[in-house]
Amino acid sequence: MTIPADLKYTKEHEWVRLEGDIATLGISDHAQEALGDIVFVELPEVGREIAPGEAFAVVESVKAVSDVYAPVGGEIIEVNSELEAEPEKVNTDPYGAGWIAKVKTSGASAELLDEAAYTLYLEE
Amino acid sequence: MTELARTPLFEEHVALGGKMVPFAGYEMPVQYANGALQEYKAVREGGAGLFDISHMGQVRVAGPDALDFLQHVTTNDVSRLVDDQVQYSALLNEHGTFIDDITTYKIADETYYLCINAANRHKDVAHLLSASVTFDVHVSDESDATTLLALQGEAAQKTLQPLVDIDLDGIGYYRFAQAHVAGSEAIISRTGYTGEDGFELYLPNTAAVEIWHKLLAGGAIPIGLAARDMLRTEMGYALYGHEISADVTPIEANLMWITKLDKGEFIGRAAVAARKEQGAERKLIALKLTERGIPREHYPVLVNGEVSGEITSGMHSPMAGGVALAYVKPEHAAEGQLAVEIRGKAVAAERTRTPFVRSNVRK
Repeated sequence: MTIPADLKYTKEHEWVRLEGDIATLGISDHAQEALGDIVFVELPEVGREIAPGEAFAVVESVKAVSDVYAPVGGEIIEVNSELEAEPEKVNTDPYGAGWIAKVKTSGASAELLDEAAYTLYLEE
Repeated sequence: MTELARTPLFEEHVALGGKMVPFAGYEMPVQYANGALQEYKAVREGGAGLFDISHMGQVRVAGPDALDFLQHVTTNDVSRLVDDQVQYSALLNEHGTFIDDITTYKIADETYYLCINAANRHKDVAHLLSASVTFDVHVSDESDATTLLALQGEAAQKTLQPLVDIDLDGIGYYRFAQAHVAGSEAIISRTGYTGEDGFELYLPNTAAVEIWHKLLAGGAIPIGLAARDMLRTEMGYALYGHEISADVTPIEANLMWITKLDKGEFIGRAAVAARKEQGAERKLIALKLTERGIPREHYPVLVNGEVSGEITSGMHSPMAGGVALAYVKPEHAAEGQLAVEIRGKAVAAERTRTPFVRSNVRK
């Protein structure tokens, strides 16, 4: 299982990549592995304002439906519409091609864990 | 909480990366290391999928009154079975609703064999025993000594043939043979729950591990519960606890084809006949989403914007998209604008027929 050092994580297993005031969001390798084969991603609408901790997307595997919670607050500025046709990218490349949305952050954020803290959290 | 049972193949599942989950009182693999979609593809795309379904129950019914007894407790017409033939059937209660759906195997004139659902096993056996007291018949629960494997997919016959001492071509659909698999006595039936050609093998537990490994060595791919449910849902096959239950009669469940009201008296017959007069309380329909989404169990089904019923089994079919079975009000079985409510939103759907994808069973 991979946990890149340049990302931050939530206890609900989302990741966020912060670049200036732009945040890219997705679900962690641990999350995709726990869910199994992902067959559907419900993306948020561009322009929607989300608050930290708000459910902003839905990921569905063969057997489960899982909400994706926002690690940070802000405005959705872009979504990964390729996931509509190829949701399995969330499984195969959760930190890359499987990204879900980009947000212009408001500065507000949920409790975020760094690589070390998230690794420890997964081991608990 | 009662402890979960394990089949003789538990260690083999774990060794193959099986993700073990509680199912009908057993710890069963929901999927193996490569995931449910790969398993599904192995069965649909020319392979041979191997399923441990030993959690299911087996009951032997033997004695001079075996036929009369089974006519009394099951819905289908057992007198139409010839030796080595299998029949899909059901057990009903006095209210005409389901105790279980079963398959009946005719071994000989006074000997039959029933395959029943795991979750209903103790209830079924108690029902059969209590119904048997006025018949000269012996009912024995053989479940704990029996391993049941299913081998399903286009390559099933090719994979199984080298291990058996008969020509499998001689077994037709819903027929069986008593023969040997890797030297062990077995019932080999051309039946299944996937819509592909294939077999179900009833084996003594002592032979389970050896035969499991021989089938894997022959190229079979192990398949877990998740892919099994995808395969059966694509066929529109009913599953106890979903499409059928103690809340519905065969009329609601579209299972009058296994309910022979004209064969004579049987438990539940009067109630089903009365329901037939009154009309169904609801109807099971097949639907397909015409917009993106996955219809899942218990999601409300809307007709003309109003809730008419709910989904009993639903899935994302790699071949057919969002498909589901659902109960709706009888007046909506054929008419009205259909939608499924997914997370508060109405997603458009249309009525369709089962199977949702082409069946490849050998007719």
